[in-house]
Order: sequence, then structure tokens, then C-alpha cells
Amino acid sequence: MIKLNVAPFITRHVLFALVAGGLGGVVFMFFLIEFDHYTSSNAFCTTCHSMTYAEVSYRDTPHYDSPSGVRASCGDCHVSEGIIMATYDHAIGTKDLIKQLFGPDYDDPVINLLHLPEAAFAARDWFRKRDSATCKRCHTLEAIQGERANTAAIHQEETDGKSCIDCHYNLVHRHVPSEQTFKREAWNAMVEEEFGLESGTAERMLADEG
Amino acid sequence: MIASLSCPRPLILIPLNLMVAGVCVLLAAGAAQAAKVELSAEHWGNPAGERCVSCHEKSSAGLVRQWHESAHREAGINCLDCHQAEAADVDAMEHEGEIIATIVSPKDCGRCHTKEYEEQAGSVHAEAYAKIETRIPALAHQMTGGAMQVAGCDQCHGSRVKVLGDGTLDPATWPNSGIGRVNPDGSKGSCSSCHGRHAFSKAQAREPSACVRCHSGPDSPDKEVFEASKHGMLYAAQRDQMNLDGDTWIAGQDYTAAPTCTTCHMGAAGKIPATHDVGLRNAWNLNQPVSHQQYLVLFEDGSKLERPANEAPPRRGSELEKTDGSLAKVRAVIAPERRRGVMSLVCLECHGKAFTESFMTQFDNVVELYNSKFGEPAQAIMRALYEHGLLSPLPFDEPLEFTYWELWHDEGARARHGASMMSANHAWWEGMYLVGRNFYSRFLPQARAVAGEQAAELIDPILAASGQHAWLNETAQGNPILGWMPPQPEAPEPEPTAATSADEGEGEGEDEEGGDQ
Repeated sequence: MIKLNVAPFITRHVLFALVAGGLGGVVFMFFLIEFDHYTSSNAFCTTCHSMTYAEVSYRDTPHYDSPSGVRASCGDCHVSEGIIMATYDHAIGTKDLIKQLFGPDYDDPVINLLHLPEAAFAARDWFRKRDSATCKRCHTLEAIQGERANTAAIHQEETDGKSCIDCHYNLVHRHVPSEQTFKREAWNAMVEEEFGLESGTAERMLADEG
Repeated sequence: MIASLSCPRPLILIPLNLMVAGVCVLLAAGAAQAAKVELSAEHWGNPAGERCVSCHEKSSAGLVRQWHESAHREAGINCLDCHQAEAADVDAMEHEGEIIATIVSPKDCGRCHTKEYEEQAGSVHAEAYAKIETRIPALAHQMTGGAMQVAGCDQCHGSRVKVLGDGTLDPATWPNSGIGRVNPDGSKGSCSSCHGRHAFSKAQAREPSACVRCHSGPDSPDKEVFEASKHGMLYAAQRDQMNLDGDTWIAGQDYTAAPTCTTCHMGAAGKIPATHDVGLRNAWNLNQPVSHQQYLVLFEDGSKLERPANEAPPRRGSELEKTDGSLAKVRAVIAPERRRGVMSLVCLECHGKAFTESFMTQFDNVVELYNSKFGEPAQAIMRALYEHGLLSPLPFDEPLEFTYWELWHDEGARARHGASMMSANHAWWEGMYLVGRNFYSRFLPQARAVAGEQAAELIDPILAASGQHAWLNETAQGNPILGWMPPQPEAPEPEPTAATSADEGEGEGEDEEGGDQ
């Protein structure tokens, strides 16, 4: 029998555990990559009916339909790059799943629209905290040309201290004002008008959620 | 009905020197030139505004260039000085780190241009939308569609700007720079209606073209009237002598070549101060079915109201209902004679007293002729047809309603505007001739058809009471204008002469004689 000169605590069981754990780890990593990939897809996100409302406006924008054929999926913008951060984002994102299951009825278009501003503010904060990292997966500041010559100049000369999201919001999803100028009453009135509801209904619906 | 439609007291009875005395109150209001901004310069020149310029020079170079060449730029006023907003403002939005609003309302401009803001508030310009808001649906929504209110009515009258719940401006109400725009901050008007963004050039606003966007076309052809007048003739020929860029622009002092719209309706002249209340000097309302001379009621709260002079003037200190339905205390009442007096003082910079008074007489006579012969009878006939249920109350569902509308709103307005500003063509061929043609060949036949058997009861007495339609009964009158003279049996038979001895001629003569016998 071959006698390996290893530390005495490396027993056969430990060796087996190391190999099995290593292989298991690799398999788990592959699983995570595939999991993150799958859970970043449009198809997965829109399995919840509540997410189809966000999809409607997205489909009208160049992020869905660009002449070059590049299409940004939900996850391309809303899930960070790299397995660690992507997994982290998904882990944090499970709170959305919990809210979907146990919170307000986001599948109801009225409820959904009433809550859209908070979702938009949170998403903007998310982009700002990451310095618009997911934008930069595709967009390179130095390479931005735009349709007009001066678009390039603006991005070269006017962007110090700014992140993409500071200027570019309301690009893909339904227009929501900035948090600073948002007016809940006006938003509620808009929702009521859009769905033909009596004045005051929106406020009551929000209050009923507790 | 007819009895109550008596003509207002003609202005011509009031001597011009009394008018001059009457306008003293108005003269005391200010100096004889454009008001200087009194706000101190520390209130503008927001440093953050320089950042706007740097970016917008690239993103919208045209408007920044206009600003660069403006007096605003020269005085150190930048984008943010006008566009900055409070987050609580209904139309506030975040833009590149600043809270701004797209619309700069008269109230915003009034932070510096206080005098102009206060003058325009409550004027016929500022109230241009509020005045017609309830009348718009008939033509713009029922007859055509909402798209036409946006592209038509509102472009001149202004829109009621709606800020949507998502913070954007409703495209059904904006972009709009109509003169009576109801702004998100509640103020009425749009300075950029006449003062083109972003240069805000004095010279541009003094040009007649500043008014043309709205004061042209079939219902208020003031562009066409001015161009066809002696005033317009002189302006076109001597535009280079108009000193349009002058710091001050007092008629008779800074320029004498010709008047523009601004000169008479707003401009400084002699001792008359400039005013941004464009209707202040108008004694008549020329855009109604029947013209009335008007009081201008000034309220304690700074607002104003036009009231027809055939009603008793409101007392100073009494409460009166404003256009928006609220009550306000009357501060002063300016009689039509005083308003005419101010206008006449502008005339006097270039014309003599007798000339001015006599011109006003000619003008008043046209308005009174229109009123008494066409406007009042047509209005009374329409009222009778509505009251008797012969016309439905719904507007523009019957041909007669279009006929009546065009009679006063288009043709009648053209006649009156033509006379007010000396275009013979518009006073007559484009105006009163068409009023007469419409009245006799369309309006009356249609009204009689609508009235049916009741025509003799409802229509004829109204025509008779006006006393100006009796000529219709003299059907045997000679007709040189259309080339037909009726045979005159009383005339002695002409002696046959040698010159008319041809066979055929004699034969005709015999036939006629035979017929007579």
C-alpha cells in the first residue's frame, strides 16, 4: 500500500470530503451561474403577472427593440454582473417575491400603478449606488457618439461627477417623476382618471393595505 | 326687445379737451416710457445656471444663441433665473440636479417685470382663454374634434395647461403660447406669445408681425387691415426710420415715420405711458354680435373686467362678480370716453384735433350702422326663433346658425375692424358689403324659412322697427348698377326721327305701340 506523506489528520474520510466538496462546489457554481442566468431572463421575470406591466413600456423602447439587434434583458439592467453580486441581488430580490405572494395584489393593474413610483425610486437608488454599473456593461462613456455630433461633446465635457442614471431615467418604463417633485395626490388622480375610478378610490385602496 | 337695443351714447359728442382731462388718472400711473426693472441685480445670475448654458450650447444651440444675443444675457440673467422652480410647484421637475419648470409664466416674468405683469393681468389678452372656455366645445369638439382646439383655438387664445399625474405636461394642452394661457401656477397669459423666446427682442415685439399670428384671417384681419391702411403703407416704406431698437420708444419722440399695432394699443406717446393692457384704449368691443362701448372696471385685487356701457356703471367700493365667478371690490371704473381719450392722445402726436375727432366720428358711425341695421335685428331675430322653439338650442346643427355666426363673427367683425384702422377695402368689400349680402340673401331667407308661417309675426316687426330696411319695398326704383332700367310708361313717346327709319326698327316700334294700345 502506498503510504502518502501527509499530515495525520488527512484521513481517507477527510480526503473524500475534500474531493466531494470541491466537486460539489464546482457543480454549485455552475448551478448558480445557470440559476442567475435563468432568473435574469425576461421569460422568468414575467412569470409573475405583475411584471408584465413593466414589460409593456419596455417593449416600446430601443432597449428592447434596437436596430442593431442588441436586446437588454431585465437582468442585464437590474441584476449586477458577476456570480457573487448577481446571487446577492437575487437573494435580496426574494423580498419582491415575498411581497408578491403575501403583500398587496400587484397583479391588479390599479394597485400595480399606484405602487410604481416607490418601485421606480428604489430602482433609481439601486442604479445610483452602483454608479450605473449595469448601464456600463454595454455603454462606454468614451464611445458615446449619439445621433448628433454634440451628443459626444456633452458626454465628454458635461459628465464629471455624474452617473448615467442622474440624467437618464424614465428611459424604459412608464414615466415617473423624480422623488423630489413627486406628488402622491396628482399620481392618484391620474390613476383614477386612467381607470375611470371615483376620486378618492386610490387613497382608500392604499389605506386598506395597512 | 328692439327698444332695449338702443345705441349707446355716441362718443363724438364729447369734446376732445374733456377727454384729455379725463385721462389724467391714467397718466398718473407711470412715466412715459417702458418701466425699468426695479429688482436689484443680486436677485439674479444664479451661478448654477451657467451649467445649463454649457450643456444646452451643445444640445439646443439655437435657443442658447438667441439668449446669448439678448438683453437678458447682457444683464447677467441665465436659464435658471427664469426656469427655477420649487419642488412643490405642480409642474416642477428634476433636471440634471436642478428643480425647474418648463413653463415660465407671466407671474415668473413678473418677478422682475412687475409693472408689465400687473398691467397685462386681467386684460383682454390675459382673459382670452377664460372668456371663451365655455364656448369652445360647440365648434372645436362637437362640429370638428378636440384636435382642433389644440391646433386652432388654443394656439391664439391659450390653453388651460394640464400637468399630468406623472409630472409631464398634457400634450392636449402644451406646447402652447396662446396669449390667455392658464398656467399651472394659476396666472393667465403668455409673455412669449408676443416676445419670441429666447431673445426677447424689443424690436421684434414692436413690429406689427408680433401680432400677426392671431390678428389675421377672416374674423380679425388686423394684419391685412393695417397693411392696407395709410399707416401700413408708411410703415412698409419707412421701416428703417422706426428706431425699433431704441431704449425708449415714444411715438413723436423716438420715431415719427409710422405707427405699428404697438404704437396705438400699447405704446408710449407724448405724455401717454406705455401699457401692457392692450385693450385699455379700446372704447368699443368690435368682436361681438352687437358692439358695445365698454367700461373698464378695476378691482382692489388688481383684476379687471369689461362691462358694456349700456348698463349702469358699478359704484366705486361696491362688490362685483368677476369672470371667474368670485366677488371683488371695485377700485375704479374707466369710462369708454376716457379710453377713447387715451387713444386719441396717441393720434394727436401726428394728427390735428379736428382730424382725430372727425376720424373717430367716421369710425363710430360705421359701428353704429352695423349695430342698428344688421347686428341688433339679426340678434333679435335669432332670439325670437330660439324662444319660440323654431331653432334648437344646440349650436351649429342648423344652417341658419352658421349664417348668423359668419354675419357678426367674420363679416361684421371685418367691417368694424376695417373702419377702426382705415382699410377701405376691409370696411366695405371684405366687410359691410358681405354683411349686407349675407343679411339679405342668406340670413333673412333662411330665417323666414325657419319661422315658416310665423315669419310675419316674428321677423317683419323687427325689421320694421330698425327703420333701415324700408328700401326693400321700393321695388320699382331704377337700377343703373346692374344695367336694367324698368320701362317708364309716363314718359312721352319719342318723336320718330330720320335716323331710326330702318324697316326693322319701325316694325318693333309698331309692335310696342300695338301692345300699349
